[in-house]
Amino acid sequence: METNRHQAAPVSIDVPLISNQEVWMNIALIKQYHENMPRLQAQNMVLNALQRLDLVHIAYKRNPSLTNEERFCVFLLRACMVKDAIVMIDRPFKIIPHLQDIDFIFQTLKKIDDFYLTCHIYDYQWMAGKYGEK
Amino acid sequence: MDLLENIGRMGRKTAMSFIETISFAGMVIFRMFQPRTYNSAMRTVLINQIYFTSVQILPVFIFVSIVLGSFLIGIVFQLLKQMGLTGYFGNVLMGLIVAELSPFFTVLFITLRSASAINTEMAVMKVNGEIKTLEIFRIDVINYLLVPRIINGIISLVLLSSLFSIVLMFSGILFSWIIFDISVDVYSNILLSSANFSDMVISLIKCAVFGFFITLIPIRFGLRASREFTSIPIVVSSGMVNVFTAIIIIEVLSLITKLF
Repeated sequence: METNRHQAAPVSIDVPLISNQEVWMNIALIKQYHENMPRLQAQNMVLNALQRLDLVHIAYKRNPSLTNEERFCVFLLRACMVKDAIVMIDRPFKIIPHLQDIDFIFQTLKKIDDFYLTCHIYDYQWMAGKYGEK
Repeated sequence: MDLLENIGRMGRKTAMSFIETISFAGMVIFRMFQPRTYNSAMRTVLINQIYFTSVQILPVFIFVSIVLGSFLIGIVFQLLKQMGLTGYFGNVLMGLIVAELSPFFTVLFITLRSASAINTEMAVMKVNGEIKTLEIFRIDVINYLLVPRIINGIISLVLLSSLFSIVLMFSGILFSWIIFDISVDVYSNILLSSANFSDMVISLIKCAVFGFFITLIPIRFGLRASREFTSIPIVVSSGMVNVFTAIIIIEVLSLITKLF
């Protein structure tokens, strides 16, 4: 992992959104900063990405107005903006506590599977049941 | 002995804080002149900051400038007339009111409105772990958060102070006509002949320095917050005290510059 540090793209409740910026700006920030992508181009790219998850309506909202599912999707899209992203989801059930199983996470990941290289989910052993393991 | 030790400790602490602020300022200035600082994300923040500080404030600022400026001009002109110093009103208007009071009122206004907001914003970001988020995504906090706010401080102070001066000069037309019975042409000639280029330059430099420090100090203190919410009021109040100290120091230094 040390050699791929610049590809690390965490999705975690401990890596919050920037609260004084709208959703689209939080996601676009990575591209704007690291690739100097012009604002309009970055905005369009983010809107298209949100469209894939049927979440265009949250583009101009801020963090406190989001539901847990919407927040997770924003975390995920932000992580996917890292070039050749290796997405690392840390305790997804801490981001969406009321989720019964992992299906929502997998479905969301599938919808945008061309945005990242690989994805790793990290969780406690005792959460195995939520992942359909016995 | 305890008293001496305490004075020494306090002096040392103040000196260290001053040196740290100056070295931090040096680092920020260095980044301001690096072209790679000006990426798309930074420019977006800069535009937003200029909008919040210079544009959103305009209606209130213009209203305050007109009310405060008109009263100030009216009182000063009335006093000059009573003391028989009518011939000096151009020098007083340009040298005292435009060059000295405009930057001072503007910096007070911007400090109360924006510097306090920046201080709190930084402290909240630190407490929420948002600064850590930026670091995790390899986004330089100085380039992304500090430099745009500081450049905005410089631009806003220079522009708003100039606007305040323009409002004052327009108020001067009205009051010079009422109090001294002077026409607009004569008023303009007096102002032009009283305008001192070096005073103007010093005034603009002073505005830029004010703008630099009233944003740098709140940011620096805001970033000193710990992960506890209770640290926010502490860093905000100490930040604002230091900002007002800096304003007084800069004002005194500019007056010393004018003396020589």
